[in-house]
Parts: sequence; C-alpha cells; structure tokens
Amino acid sequence: MVEISAQQKSWGVSYGEMVRREFVKNKLNVVNLVLIVILFALAVLAPFLANDKPFMIRLDGKLMFPLFASLTASDYSILLAAAIGIWQLILIRRNRRNIEPSVRGQVLTRQLLINASILLVGSILFFVFMPRRLDATDYKGLISSGRASDAIFAPIPYGYARTDLKVREQPPSKEHWLGTDDVGSDVLCRLIYGSRISLSVGFVAVGISSLIGVFIGSILGYFGGKVDFIGMRLVEIMMAIPVFFLIITIVAYWQRSLFNIMVIIGLTTWTANARFVRAEFFKLRNQDFVQAAVSLGLPLRSVLFRHMLPNGIAPVLVEATFGIAGAIFIEAALSFLGFGVAPPTPSWGQMLSLGVSTTGRFLWWLTLFPGLAIFLTVLAYNLVGEGLRDAIDPRLRKAA
Amino acid sequence: MIPTMLGITIIVFGISRLAPGNPVSLSMGPGGQLDAQRAADVRKARMQLYGLDKPIPVQYVNWLKHVVTFNFGDSIKHHRPVIELIKERLPITLTLNLIAFVIIYVVSIPTGMLAAVRHKRFFDQFSSVVLFMLWSLPAMLVGQLLIGYFCGPAFVSWFPPAGLSSNQADTLPFFPWLTDRLWHLVLPVICLTYSGFAYLTKQVRAGMLESLRADYVRTARAKGLSNVTVIFRHAFRNSIIPVITIMATLLPAMLGGSVIIERIFSIPGMGMLAFEAVTTRDYNVVMAVATIAGLMNLVGLLLGDIAYAVADPRVSFESSV
Repeated sequence: MVEISAQQKSWGVSYGEMVRREFVKNKLNVVNLVLIVILFALAVLAPFLANDKPFMIRLDGKLMFPLFASLTASDYSILLAAAIGIWQLILIRRNRRNIEPSVRGQVLTRQLLINASILLVGSILFFVFMPRRLDATDYKGLISSGRASDAIFAPIPYGYARTDLKVREQPPSKEHWLGTDDVGSDVLCRLIYGSRISLSVGFVAVGISSLIGVFIGSILGYFGGKVDFIGMRLVEIMMAIPVFFLIITIVAYWQRSLFNIMVIIGLTTWTANARFVRAEFFKLRNQDFVQAAVSLGLPLRSVLFRHMLPNGIAPVLVEATFGIAGAIFIEAALSFLGFGVAPPTPSWGQMLSLGVSTTGRFLWWLTLFPGLAIFLTVLAYNLVGEGLRDAIDPRLRKAA
Repeated sequence: MIPTMLGITIIVFGISRLAPGNPVSLSMGPGGQLDAQRAADVRKARMQLYGLDKPIPVQYVNWLKHVVTFNFGDSIKHHRPVIELIKERLPITLTLNLIAFVIIYVVSIPTGMLAAVRHKRFFDQFSSVVLFMLWSLPAMLVGQLLIGYFCGPAFVSWFPPAGLSSNQADTLPFFPWLTDRLWHLVLPVICLTYSGFAYLTKQVRAGMLESLRADYVRTARAKGLSNVTVIFRHAFRNSIIPVITIMATLLPAMLGGSVIIERIFSIPGMGMLAFEAVTTRDYNVVMAVATIAGLMNLVGLLLGDIAYAVADPRVSFESSV
C-alpha cells in the first residue's frame, strides 16, 4: 500500500481532475450540481414520494404492501438505472486511486459498457416478465369505511392519474400543498412525476444529438477538403430552418409520443455539436500524436474516436449541458402548445398551459409552480454548463 | 443560397412524404361507408388528382415548380390559397420580432459594454446573474403571469390580454390607432425580448473584453487618449463586428419563440398560423410555413453578411473565395 501511494504522487493530475478542481472552486457550481442531484432523486423516487397507494395496509386483517406491488416495469428500470449510475460513480472514484492513468480510459470504457449492458438486459427482463397490474382500489375509502387500518401512506398521498372532480382547480391548501388542476389531480404529485419526463427528454435528446454531432463533426473535421465542403452545406441546410418550426413540422406529421419527441429534438439540434467538433478536429488533425497514430497504420475508427476524440470532447460536454437545458425548454414549449405527451402522463409544459382555464380564469398556482420547476431546472443546467466552460477554458485557468 | 434553399425544400418535402399515411387516406377516413370496389376507385382517382400516384422524385419536382411561384396550394381549413394567408400573417410577426430585435440591441450593447468595462466588479457579476436567470425563464411562464396580473381581475388591468388591436380599431384616425396597436404590443414584446438580452449581452461583453485587452487599446491609452475615446472609438468599434453576425442566429430563434408568444397572446401571426395548421393537420400550410421560415432565415443570413461587410471595411466579397 505504501508503494502505491508513493507512486500515486508521481501520476500527477489528470485533465479531468484539473477541470473538476476548477469547477468545485466556485461554490455556485456546487449548489447547482446539488440541485440537479436532488431533481434526479425526485425523479427516481417519485413513486415513493407521491402515490395514492399506501406502503403498508392491514386489509380485512391481512397485511398488504400495495405500493410495492403496483410498481411498474419502468419504475423498476429507473431504480436499476439509478443504482447502476451510483455504482459507476463509486467505480470512477476507485479508479482514480487504484488504476494507472494510462489505462484508466480503457478500464472506464469497459466498465461503462458492462454497466450499460446490465441496465439494458435488466430493463428488457423487467418489461418482458413484469406482470402489468392495474390497482384501482380506493384505499382511502376502505380506511374511512373501516375495512382497513394501519396504513402508511407516502408523504403525498395522491396518484398522478387519480382524478377527483370534487376538488378541481383548488388553490394550495393543507390537503393539496400546491393546489389541484382542472381534473382535481394534485399539482405537487404531478410536478414530481413530470420531472421524469423532463429529465429523460433532456438526456436522451442530448445523447442522440451529441452522437450525431460528434460523428459528423469528426468526419468533416478530419477529412476536410471536399468532404468538409459538402458536409458543411448539409449542416447549413439543417441550420437554415428555424429549429422550432422544423420540430413543429415534424410533430404535425408524426404521431405524438414521448419517444418521438426525444428523437425529433435529438435529430434537429445536432448542428451546433457538429460544428464544434469539426473546429476542434481541424486543430487536432495536424498534431504529432494524430500523425503518429495514422502512420502506425491504425484504422480510421481508432484514430478518430480513440486518439482524437478524447482531446476534442470538452466543448461537446459543455454544449451537452446547455443542450439538456434547451431540450427541456423545447419539450415544455411543445407540451404547452399541446404537441407533447398525452395526458394523464404529467409534463411541466402541459401543466403550465392549464394556468388559464377553459373559462378564461387565471389560476396562479398552475402557472407559477410548473413554471418555476422549468425555470429552476433550466437555470441549474445552464449555470453548470457555464461553470464547466469556465473550468475547461485554458485561458482562464492560466490567469487564475 | 440557391442550393441551400433547394435543400430546405427537400427537407420539408421529405418530412411530409416520409410520414406514415397520406392526405387521401386521411381525408377518406377509416372507410366503411362505401363498398370496397368503389372505395378503391375513389382512392385511385384522388391519388391521381393530387399527383400522389407518381414516384416521389416526380412529386417533389411538381411541388417545387409550384413553390418557386409561391403557389403552396389551398388551405384545407381556410379554403383560401396558403400564400394569401401568409401575406396577411407575415407582416404581423415581422413587426413584433423587429421591434423586439431593436430593443434587444439597444439594451444589450450598453449593458454588455458596461459589464466589460467593469470586469469582475459588482455590475459585471450582478448583470451576469440576472441575465442568466432571464435566459432560463420560460416565456410561457412570463406570458401567463403578465396576462394574469396585468390584464385581468386578479390584480390590475392595464393592458389588453389578447389580440393586436381593439374592436373597431380600423375606424380610428392614425395616431389613436397607433397607440392602440402599441398598447397591444407591449406585453408580447416584453416576452420576446427578455431572453435575447442574456445571449447578446454576453457576446457584447466577450467581444469588448477581448478588444480592451488588445495591443491597439493599450497604445491608445499610452497616447494619452481619454477613457471615453478609447472605449467608444477604439474598443467598441472593433468589438461590434461579431455582434452583427449574431443577428443571423438570433432571428430564427426569435421566430421560433414567437410561436409560443403569439399563441399566449392570441396574435394572428405566422406562429399562430403554424400552430393552427399543426392542430388541424392543414398540411399545405405547415409545409409553406416551414419553407417560408427557412427562406426568411436565409435572407437574415444574407443581411448579416452584408452588414458585416459594411461594418468592417477589411471584409470584402470581391477578392475572397
């Protein structure tokens, strides 16, 4: 052990570590990162925070656990994804201590691949083998009628799809902390479940647009010349149609579903990424390590993605953070216009659009709370992106 | 320019043809009223009528022939030529966006300059935080709050909640008409402008910081020129050049944003037209709006290039590629 720690000092500080230290220096960045982690926790733990089924209930003398029994396959997949994500973070921490920097990248790639495949297989198994249960029992009614007792409810004892027309459009009260919407669903509950939509749209859309952007940008940047000229004309064409109009046009023709919205946002927002990566690859192309890789006879795939990409990935990361904020924004706007996911699936934009009721009444709680949710999420991602950019920008680092 | 325009039309046409289903089966509904033989005949006749029986490249060329003459067909909902609708709606959106555009530049340039001059001091940090918050505020939230609190019984009703002009505004003489119109435009313009401030101010600040650090500014200061002269004549004029090119990227973003704003404030502009067309599946209008939006964006890019050449005498189009 003593030997390793002595050796560790000579490893020096990796690029990622330098960026991390610079990033953490600004306390505002840390606050925002914590905010994002809380949002993630809310999205993952949504069924345990807001649910109309009790954790535990004694029904006709028998002890039952309806909440756990009614978790769906997607709930389990999300929990699995969260667990794997945390495990991966622990692994990265461990790698930093135990594994030599020169092979760290390879080890990380292998770990990521293994974990991703575990997640994929796990979710497929969940979706194939989980029985679909529809539990429409009114547990609160059972309790008030005296058939059940000893119930432990979630902190917000309402379901996102549970409607109750007796309490429609009510301002915040003790029962409904943030009020109710036009069909009497609890706003807080729907906000918590809505964070799932926003986060998944943000990450999947940005994942798609980053992949396309990196792929096209690296090819254009590496080859240059004719390939670059033709490719850039294509990118220009994509950029020439205002993104929102393009998305609306596609939405008009395709069926509206969460998956389609993710794909559409991803397919229409990759141009900025492509341009950044292209500019970065132009700079890298003539550097010695790239020339060395080429003259060693490595395949193109290896030159582009093993040797060049890790050195040109920084702007993509920054752009991705802003991209998540942008995708959440676009999804909210689409849902606001009624082109988003279909109710009763909760989405922040759709909830916001209920702020003016069909009779023209202004319902402030339905405007303010979903709006603030979008605002805070987008602000957190934007500020993290800004912090990341400052941390990566070498000019600033030299000055500091 | 022209290849890009062709590319835009290919994308728009591609989207419309790659989608599942076609207008004929949509207009015929699920069927069942007619017997199968007659239904097939009607379908075939209609496919021929709309030219849908031809191969897709032929369909595209036919469509393009019409588009070149701005003939986008008829709107299914309004029963009028699409281009007439766009002619009515486009000026409204352009007015709205151009007013917002001017305000963004008028506010952002001084703010950005001041932030750069006060680099790392209170004003710089304060303005950057405020602008970031403005940037992240969804227009839907701001719009609805403004309508809720300034146009209704909830708080005060200073502004009209919807539309572009009051009833019978056409009968008013010019100046009352103008004030009425401006009165209606106040809230939508606020919604359109605030998010642009952040973006442009950041660019102005960055450009200004760069030129304030440049050698020629140091030289100017060393010559003993006053601070005002250095900032306005030396630093500002050089830093403004990239800001002009941003025009080209700001405009399409604003056009997209105006879909939401026009919807919130019920303004009958291009955005509203697009929204209605999508909800009623008025495909001719959808395609036309997307094509025109792309065309306008190209015009914006061209204007940006021209303005760039005017602002920076070093740039000329003659000698370059």
